[in-house]
Amino acid sequence: MDRAFQRTQILNNHLLQSSPSSPVQSPPLSSNACLSYSPPELSEFFAFDVKEMRRLIDWHHIELRDHLFAMISQSKLFNPRVRGGKVFVSPDYNQPMEQQREITSKRIDYLFERGVFEGWLTEKGEEIDLRRFASFEALAIFDHSLGIMLAVHFFLWGGAVQVFGTKHHHDKWLKDTETNVVKGCFAMTELGHGSNVRGVETVSTYDSNTGEFVINTPCESAQKFWIGGATNHATHAIVFSQLNINGANQGVHAFIAQIRDANGKVCPNIRTADNGRKIGLNGVDNGRIWFDNVRVPRENLLNSVADVSPDGKYLSSIKDPDQRFAAFLAPLTIGRVSIATSAVYLSKVGLTIAIRYALTRRAFSLKPHEPEVLLLDYPSHQRRLLPLLAKTYAMSFASKYLKMLYVKRTPQSYKTIHVFSSSFKATFTWNNLHILQECREACGGQGLSSENHVGQMKAEYDVQSTFEGDNNILMQQVSKALLAEYVAAKKRKKAFKGLGLEHMNKPSPAIPSQLTSSTLHSSQFQMDALCLRERDLLNRLAVEVSHYQAKGLSKEHAFNMSYQLAEDLSRAFTDRAIFQTFAEAEATLAAGSLKDVLGTLRSLYGLICLEDAAFLRYGYLSVDDGALVRREITKTCGEIRPHALALVSSFGIPDAFLSPIAFNWIDANAWASVQH
Amino acid sequence: MASSQHEQVLVEEKSFARILTFNRTKQLNALSFQMISRLLELFLAYEDDPNVKLIILKGKGRSFCAGGDVAAVVHDIRAGGWRAGANFFMKEFTLNYLMATFSKPQVSILNGIVMGGGNGASMHGRFRVATENSLFAMPETALGLFPDVGASYFLSRLPGFFGEYLGLTGARLDGAEMFACGLATHFVPSAKLPMLEAALCAVDSSDPAIISSIIGQYSERPPLKEQSVYNRLDVIDRCFSQKTVEEILSALEREAVDRREGWISTTIQTLKKASPTSLKISLRSIRVGRLQGVGPCLVREYRMVCHVMRGEFSKDFFEGCRAILLDKDKNPKWEPSKLELVADSTVDSYFSKVKNEDWEDLKLPARPKFNLPPYVIAKL
Repeated sequence: MDRAFQRTQILNNHLLQSSPSSPVQSPPLSSNACLSYSPPELSEFFAFDVKEMRRLIDWHHIELRDHLFAMISQSKLFNPRVRGGKVFVSPDYNQPMEQQREITSKRIDYLFERGVFEGWLTEKGEEIDLRRFASFEALAIFDHSLGIMLAVHFFLWGGAVQVFGTKHHHDKWLKDTETNVVKGCFAMTELGHGSNVRGVETVSTYDSNTGEFVINTPCESAQKFWIGGATNHATHAIVFSQLNINGANQGVHAFIAQIRDANGKVCPNIRTADNGRKIGLNGVDNGRIWFDNVRVPRENLLNSVADVSPDGKYLSSIKDPDQRFAAFLAPLTIGRVSIATSAVYLSKVGLTIAIRYALTRRAFSLKPHEPEVLLLDYPSHQRRLLPLLAKTYAMSFASKYLKMLYVKRTPQSYKTIHVFSSSFKATFTWNNLHILQECREACGGQGLSSENHVGQMKAEYDVQSTFEGDNNILMQQVSKALLAEYVAAKKRKKAFKGLGLEHMNKPSPAIPSQLTSSTLHSSQFQMDALCLRERDLLNRLAVEVSHYQAKGLSKEHAFNMSYQLAEDLSRAFTDRAIFQTFAEAEATLAAGSLKDVLGTLRSLYGLICLEDAAFLRYGYLSVDDGALVRREITKTCGEIRPHALALVSSFGIPDAFLSPIAFNWIDANAWASVQH
Repeated sequence: MASSQHEQVLVEEKSFARILTFNRTKQLNALSFQMISRLLELFLAYEDDPNVKLIILKGKGRSFCAGGDVAAVVHDIRAGGWRAGANFFMKEFTLNYLMATFSKPQVSILNGIVMGGGNGASMHGRFRVATENSLFAMPETALGLFPDVGASYFLSRLPGFFGEYLGLTGARLDGAEMFACGLATHFVPSAKLPMLEAALCAVDSSDPAIISSIIGQYSERPPLKEQSVYNRLDVIDRCFSQKTVEEILSALEREAVDRREGWISTTIQTLKKASPTSLKISLRSIRVGRLQGVGPCLVREYRMVCHVMRGEFSKDFFEGCRAILLDKDKNPKWEPSKLELVADSTVDSYFSKVKNEDWEDLKLPARPKFNLPPYVIAKL
């Protein structure tokens, strides 16, 4: 009864409020003007040169990227659709799995035909390394399945032949791979073993009578699982298996096995099956493989690290099996590097769409009869999107650092690349999923529509946090590597060198007791705070692990027990490393509007890092400091707001790769656009 | 006041329609500075005039408009320096932008030659009506220039890589081909034009759907000639999607071996005759144009055309005009003479700001914020 009364009261208030209290105050009678779309370009201004900004963050092969974008948007194969007078390209993810796979193959053929992959495996050096990255990043914003089919073929299969193989493998396979005569896949993961590659159960036994290896799947848990290309597509596979010679197990090695003939018929003694529908990436034919004593010639052992002589002697230049295994997997980092760098581009797409929408969509008026407020003029909406914009810029600079590490690689730098690629791959892909989710929500109901891309991208790219190294395990490896550095430095009483840990050699930075706004924004302070956290967490982890070890736990067990500190430490390392690249990029710029805006973004990125719970948990910042950080973030978001359009325009994502809500969403949804 | 005989743009007022007719038949209606100024004036006045709902543009004689009056521009530059040329293009590009973003529909009746600047005055409008007399081309590369007047916008929007083909080779299209590739929105046999005009003059609406349906009543779907290049879009795509002009040429040469079709060797010949510098800057311009709105396209083209007028990196434009328009020996001596002699850095320079005191980028006129039709907003 009470509730009913309350409701009538509320309704009554509504009615009274809307009826004019006096005729003078009532607005003149006129038909309510419809909302009209105004392109943000007409009201926002660019305080800096967006092309220059793009050069800074894309920094290599910009023309090539644009060329690929044009190649895609100019072909019917890439599913162009006109909405609101503009053409958009993106795959139709609502198609059945089989059709998605078929069209993905056709798109790849189209790109092969146009010479996009020329030199990808047969050329060497910085130029081709960077060209591959640029192409991969550009293709990724169209579709993940497309990128992954290529990554499996070139980076995993082709890369394995290149690095695990020797000259005769190169001569035999690389050219045919580059021209798509051979279609490769990479059979490492099994049903029973994923990240723990050393535990795979597939066995290859050497038969010295015939000079062949016999590859066998001894039990169901040894079936190869999730192998991209295995279901219909691949003709050849890199097979990871234990090497058995005269009953002795020599550990995991890689072999080449043909699984299909040129007509696509599965070879004898090979069984394959589909992995079925996935939550995304359905354009890739992930499948399973069983080997029933498949015989391959001795030459099919990829023998850069270890070889077997015709009479069955095991020969390896690296005696220690641990090191041998590490040498084996080290070259696989290219996959991780390219996943990390491409993830940044998806964040760019998501943010460009969400921010352009927030600059044209309005909701609620502050006062009656006033125009409604633009979404991006709400401080809360700014707080949701603009820190992510800062994060995306930060990742762009960190990407550049990572790519340069890879491009300038030497055998000595593999450990460094392993640590940075693990840390950045995990962090960028996690960030990307978080950014896409926020962008999806920031677009409201529009975000749910397939054609608006953002929601769909979440499903398509979700797997990035799992493949090529599970993110959580990668982050553990980062902490493990840092701990090893720490132990080594302390044991030998030597200074820290590498991984950016040099700051550990200096006295610990101090946080001023009275933080001011200007201190908080300074690059030096932000860097100090991040170093302080990293240093302290590394000390704590070392103490905790040795504490467990003193209690009699093994090193591995002790580390597992300290997982919370390890997690905090790996995040501390990553934030600091990313921040450093951002601060350095800012420092190299000449004074001007570009530097000013980038400085504000850097500051915003630093501040959101300081919001991490660890700063309060371990007491690096006081509760009052924490409150101040929060206030400054809001303020800085307001300073970035006028540059929001220019900052997303600098990403250089062509209109056709965005979505209808990024443009004239009223016209795109008008009655005239309905198929009738 | 000059009698209408001497007016270069004739104006008729028919209820809510305005018919503007190019009247410079001796020069095939080539756009003079005076015509451009007059059109700008008229369009600006029509934008705010509630009594105008539709603009019809056509040409007297056998030409709609054969282009900008380049001979006059060269003459002006010889007399008054490159600035005189720059002024011409500034005005012309401003008109192109105004037409592209005009809030009321423009119907261009392309019953004859439509080339170069003539395309600038029609392609940006909402409706382009081709006839059996239409003859389209963007022949600038043969003249040492590049497809300007916003061509890097409208050519790059054609299917596949047809735009690169048209822009680099200057190939000619007939009305049926224009309609097939989308340069023309309608094809109306010329015999029906008087009826179409009368019907359009009776409209009292700016609604593009209504106007489209009126034109539709007189339209036909013309068959493509069997040997039309538009039927060979697959070959064009394969060749003209290549990254550089050199690669385009070698792709064409490979195709020529395989299929011995006349048009391929004609295309190769044409490319080899065109200015190497022009070819390279044209390709770059169309490629960049794909990813830009019409405004930025015109701003970029204005930079480029100023560089061409200054002749700092190449004087091909003056040589082309000499050989084609003045001496008519049709034998221009390009400098640099070969594609491989045109450095990438030289191509880059054409896209940079002009280093000259008080030179400024093209300032696009401000456009109304809220009453632009959706088809205009999509071009920004």
